[in-house]
Amino acid sequence: MSSYFVIDLVNTLLSGLLIGSLYAIMALGLTIIQGVVRIFNFAHGGMSILGGYLTFMFLSGAGFNLIVSMILSCLLMFVFGLILYRGAIVFLVKKPNWEIASVIFLLGLGILMENLILQVFGARVKEIPVFFEDAFEFGFVRINHHDVVLIVFVMVFVLGLNLFFSRTWLGRSIRAVAQDIQGARVVGVNANRTLGFAFGLASAVTGLAGILLASKYYLTPQVGWEWMFKGFIIVVFGGLGTITGAIFAGLVMGLVEALITFYGSQSWVWPAWFVIFLVILLVKPEGLFGRKSASY
Amino acid sequence: MQALWNWKKMTVLGGLIIIALMPVFTRSPYIRHLFSVFFIWAIVVSNWNLIMGYAGIWSMANVAFLVIGCYSSALLSMHSGLPPAICILLSGLITMLIATLFIGLPSLRLRGIYIALLSMIFANMLPDILKIFRYSTGGSMGLPEVPPLYEGITTLQSYYINFAAFIVLLLLVYAIIHSRSGLAFMALRDAHEMATALGISEYREKLKVFALSSFSTGIAGGLYVHYTGIASPDLLYISTFLMAIAMMVVGGMGRFPGGVLGAALFVFGGEWLRMFGLVRLTIMGGLICIFILFFPGGIMELVERLDTRIIQWRSKGLAPPVVE
Repeated sequence: MSSYFVIDLVNTLLSGLLIGSLYAIMALGLTIIQGVVRIFNFAHGGMSILGGYLTFMFLSGAGFNLIVSMILSCLLMFVFGLILYRGAIVFLVKKPNWEIASVIFLLGLGILMENLILQVFGARVKEIPVFFEDAFEFGFVRINHHDVVLIVFVMVFVLGLNLFFSRTWLGRSIRAVAQDIQGARVVGVNANRTLGFAFGLASAVTGLAGILLASKYYLTPQVGWEWMFKGFIIVVFGGLGTITGAIFAGLVMGLVEALITFYGSQSWVWPAWFVIFLVILLVKPEGLFGRKSASY
Repeated sequence: MQALWNWKKMTVLGGLIIIALMPVFTRSPYIRHLFSVFFIWAIVVSNWNLIMGYAGIWSMANVAFLVIGCYSSALLSMHSGLPPAICILLSGLITMLIATLFIGLPSLRLRGIYIALLSMIFANMLPDILKIFRYSTGGSMGLPEVPPLYEGITTLQSYYINFAAFIVLLLLVYAIIHSRSGLAFMALRDAHEMATALGISEYREKLKVFALSSFSTGIAGGLYVHYTGIASPDLLYISTFLMAIAMMVVGGMGRFPGGVLGAALFVFGGEWLRMFGLVRLTIMGGLICIFILFFPGGIMELVERLDTRIIQWRSKGLAPPVVE
């Protein structure tokens, strides 16, 4: 094997790792919502770009620094998720055709958000500055500082989220509600409040993911849909309602995408996603780590 | 038991007469074009209504079918020597094949929401497939010189041809809805176990509904591409897709005139709203949200409620009671 091949391969794999971790965190918000209310959040795209745009607004409009802007955006996204739950989801899940009704509602909400953002911020590409300039160099391998920070950040965040779900009372009540809502009520969990919190959490995570993706790539009102579709595939691939599954699937898909983009061309990416999705649905619809009981 | 003449049928008849005579009143090619666009979308949304509203299958790929119809007819007419009319029919068949293969067959094994996801991603993947084969399909630029239906066609003739296709294909949808297959679709949608217990083959009916609606949509696509002379992947933008969904939801899912109504509303209303610029997409999104929350049956549901009240009012001769 020529050294060029190895260099390229390693670089591609590292890219894939980075993209994968971004996809993974993008899928987290979807997984949480899917887990608790069994709805695929079709407004996910809008929510992730909202997070990005809010940060942009705080950065350039109000002049706050990066960390403060990110925290503020996440807080606002949390509130947004709460309001969304209380204002709309509560009504939608009571309808007889709740599945398709919520899909269409969230879809409409997604368009609404995309276009409001377009109105307010304009169509030009916005950029969130990279966290750090410069890059590491290990011999032939070159990694941006920014990329490393992102990967580490995602890993730490996922660990933190796992701890939250397994150790804290609130996290455990969210899992309880996801498993059996009546049972959770019996043991004293206020289902409505917990669901609202879960929505807010998912919304904040989604906004955060949007910020990270925007800092790595770019931000336009349309880019949310792509992220959302890939998020759906990752959620199904990894297994409904499991965070580990989403992370794993995100990493795998990131690697696959990096390999295809490098050794094939950009245009083969979506067909590849489609084929993988089709295969997963036909072969193992509950996903890699999914519960077998999940009806597909 | 509805009377032979009631106000709804009179409206439809009146509307058809107005459309038929419209070119007499205005020679504006812009208005004729608008109507032709309306015809095409009415066909697409009505067929989509067939899959989603009547059969209860959440396929999101119908705009993709339209585009497949466009491209297949365009490519056929440009590379084989066949006259465009034949190409349109063939493109209907091609669309039917692709749709049934990629969406219809997998949908046999999948539950509702997954069909939605699969079809959405299929629609999303299509522009990339077009780019891969950009040598023949022109990639993101599309194919600019698609031959018209026949040489020297005028806007007047196109108008009537599109109108005729509109009537024929909508009659087809109507016939399907009122046939045994239509009943089978609705039975599968509403009471799945009961329907299969009664012997309705879910596989056959699902494939049937996909085949029929994708065939009609493909033909609409072929017609559209020969009418406009350009095949472009712009139709696959998320905004077109969302507009089509809005047409269906606001018009009325599961009710036959819903597709036509929605198409009319958004094609003509969209033009009127164009003066507000980008706000129209925001309004569309807002309409979708409001309607699905409060009027899931769309405008047709409101029409039906109005109709019920009128009937009650007429039969009792009194003010209608508050029904709820």
